[in-house]
Amino acid sequence: MSGSPSSIPVGSAAGAPSDGVAEPQPLVRVEELKVYFPITEGIIFERHIGDVQAVDGITFSLRRGETLGLVGESGCGKSTTGRAVVRLYKPTAGRIVFDGQDMATLQGEKLRRMRRRMQMIFQDPYASLNPRMTVGAIIREPLDVHGIGSGSERRERVGELLSTVGLNPEYGARYPHEFSGGQRQRIGVARALAVNPDLIVADEPISALDVSIQAQIINLLEQLQGQFGLTYLFIAHDLSVVRHISDRIAVMYLGRIVELASSRELNARPLHPYAVALLSAVPIPDPAIEATRRRIILTGDVPSPAAPPSGCRFHTRCWLRERLGNPERCSEEDPAMRELAPGHEVACHFAEQVDGSVEQRQAVGVRGGSTDAPAAQPATAPVAGG
Amino acid sequence: MSLLQVDDLVVRFRTHEGAVYAVNGVSFELEAGETLGLVGESGCGKSVTSLAIMRLLPKPAGRVEGGRVVFDGTELLSLKEEEMRDLRGKDIAMIFQDPMTSLNPVLTVEEQMVETVRAHRKVEREAARQRAVELLAMVGIPHPEDRLRSFPHQFSGGMRQRVMIAMALALQPKLLIADEPTTALDVTIQAQVLELLRDLTTTSGTAAILITHDLGVVAGMTQRINVMYAGYIVEAATTAELFAHPSHPYTVGLLHSIPRLDAAGEALIPIEGRPPDQREAPVGCPFAPRCAWRVEACWRENPSLVAITTAGTAGARVQHRIACHNAPTAEEAVAGHPLRSDFHAAPPPGSVVDELTTSEPLVDGEAVFPQDAPVTFDRQEGPSTPLYGAAGLPLPPEEDERR
Repeated sequence: MSGSPSSIPVGSAAGAPSDGVAEPQPLVRVEELKVYFPITEGIIFERHIGDVQAVDGITFSLRRGETLGLVGESGCGKSTTGRAVVRLYKPTAGRIVFDGQDMATLQGEKLRRMRRRMQMIFQDPYASLNPRMTVGAIIREPLDVHGIGSGSERRERVGELLSTVGLNPEYGARYPHEFSGGQRQRIGVARALAVNPDLIVADEPISALDVSIQAQIINLLEQLQGQFGLTYLFIAHDLSVVRHISDRIAVMYLGRIVELASSRELNARPLHPYAVALLSAVPIPDPAIEATRRRIILTGDVPSPAAPPSGCRFHTRCWLRERLGNPERCSEEDPAMRELAPGHEVACHFAEQVDGSVEQRQAVGVRGGSTDAPAAQPATAPVAGG
Repeated sequence: MSLLQVDDLVVRFRTHEGAVYAVNGVSFELEAGETLGLVGESGCGKSVTSLAIMRLLPKPAGRVEGGRVVFDGTELLSLKEEEMRDLRGKDIAMIFQDPMTSLNPVLTVEEQMVETVRAHRKVEREAARQRAVELLAMVGIPHPEDRLRSFPHQFSGGMRQRVMIAMALALQPKLLIADEPTTALDVTIQAQVLELLRDLTTTSGTAAILITHDLGVVAGMTQRINVMYAGYIVEAATTAELFAHPSHPYTVGLLHSIPRLDAAGEALIPIEGRPPDQREAPVGCPFAPRCAWRVEACWRENPSLVAITTAGTAGARVQHRIACHNAPTAEEAVAGHPLRSDFHAAPPPGSVVDELTTSEPLVDGEAVFPQDAPVTFDRQEGPSTPLYGAAGLPLPPEEDERR
């Protein structure tokens, strides 16, 4: 859960994002977004022979002041989604409505002006800072680009931003290599904050950092959200981190969102077989719990997004489909997102079968689902030490 | 007798910028069939320890400067290179984090596996190939006969790691060292590989050392854990005991700085500061600058690893050792910070201002010190007053903690 005071009540009967009637206008509304990357053949005459369907028709919205977590494995399209939202990629189809304006078709000066309101934090704090610029110049660059303030105002702002992210304001004269990974990530955060954005897309912002440093950055992001009323799109592969920081979570698999729910709801009651498997695969640092958990081991690897499976994209690895005797519907009919509980959407034909299953209970762990008592705790002996 | 005994191992790297104190006297034992976790962050010496055991330290920079490694009755550090080569793969095998860099990209998996087997066993090519097929099947690679002819790049990350495991287990080693075997993998693939490793080590009775930064991974995989920091083992206990009664401030800090999937919205308590620069000879406890529990002795004297008694070890034979002068109490370990209200982490020695004189009067509230005057100061909570040095730049907060 985010520490933001402005967070929207999660899991409440706020209504489906799709009805859009009762709800205040979201900051960002992504509709049927598709991002394809062409595969070509030939050197002189490039022929278009196919597409990597990195993102293939996803719909979600970002409410003001909330953190939406985007989680999934490598190649699921989560980073592509984040980059398309800030228009680092041009969408192949679909709409990205940012505060009433469709970003997908904006160009030139108009796009540049909108970009001021959205910023990005990248995974690798070593690669995302220009080694030949001073930290001050790096943080100041967005101000220069957007022509904000006079020279002295910009200088002042750099010092102010550095203290905001917990660095010495005098560090502006130094170069990135003089900083540790955690400090560099703080510089990346300061750069993102420079233009006072509404939205920050954070793409795996802590995966490259040491464990003891990760919490520093997570806490900083939470603190800044409260301070500046930021909206976050938080992209990560680590469910425990995403759960910690997000108000709502979207689980992606092979270019699609397969489940979208409040953070608490998703962790207590995952309804998509993939989300259940993903949760069950996350190790919990507690040997007593680990001894009683049974993992769902998915067979095989994620299929290629250039040739995704027919029907449900997860059907080739789905444990539930196997359990149900491989119904044809899974391989033939593409499941649409259905709202099974208020604000809890799932794209699975048989999601009802997941609810209450042993697998679901096992995946959330013994202490999971803090509200409902874990009565069905398996009677496995606790781990015997040594 | 233990299968592996490491005594007071010291490893240093010689670099242009001086020695790097990578491993500073590490001792542990491993029983046959046991899985031991070495946990710590980058630079803590966990990988260097394993490379030293395998005698694979990068030469000429890396050097074992002291200690003994006794494996199955043999002192490894004094073996001739040929004898060691014979032992590697056959008795001790290793799996690395990135299988792409440990497999040869220009040879098929078949060539590499057959070579491994035939380097140690006098068998026909065909027999070795049969063994390779068996091994690939054992680690769950579909169509092993066909896949044998593939090159490493034709496998996915998870499959490549399976190939590595198959090769490591080809000669039924007594000890398997797995260095971050799943760090490069996605979480569902990590689950597959860990499950495989657990099954294989259990059924074959292979002892294993699992090196990782992920406390979640060791929780479900190991029987005992050594937590390392800056080249020292700072806490050693059985897995159940370590998680039930974490007792070293660093372990406590680690457990509080990772979000847990099964804990709802608890605030994270980060470990302040950053890992130490190991180019400096360690003085005092290496964790002291980041530790909330530090007392004065921590700055002077590095605590040794001694047995302690917790609720879990009282009256039992469970071993639990920590290296700490002022260990958190059980309640403090749960809270993640010191609970005694009158307790303050000891400031670095020599940092208390007892006499401060300047030759110049204060100018606009700033004192100007002569260049060679001995200046000591106290750092307190709250906004910091910049101190200007000869270079004209204020010292960054972490650098004023001069010892």
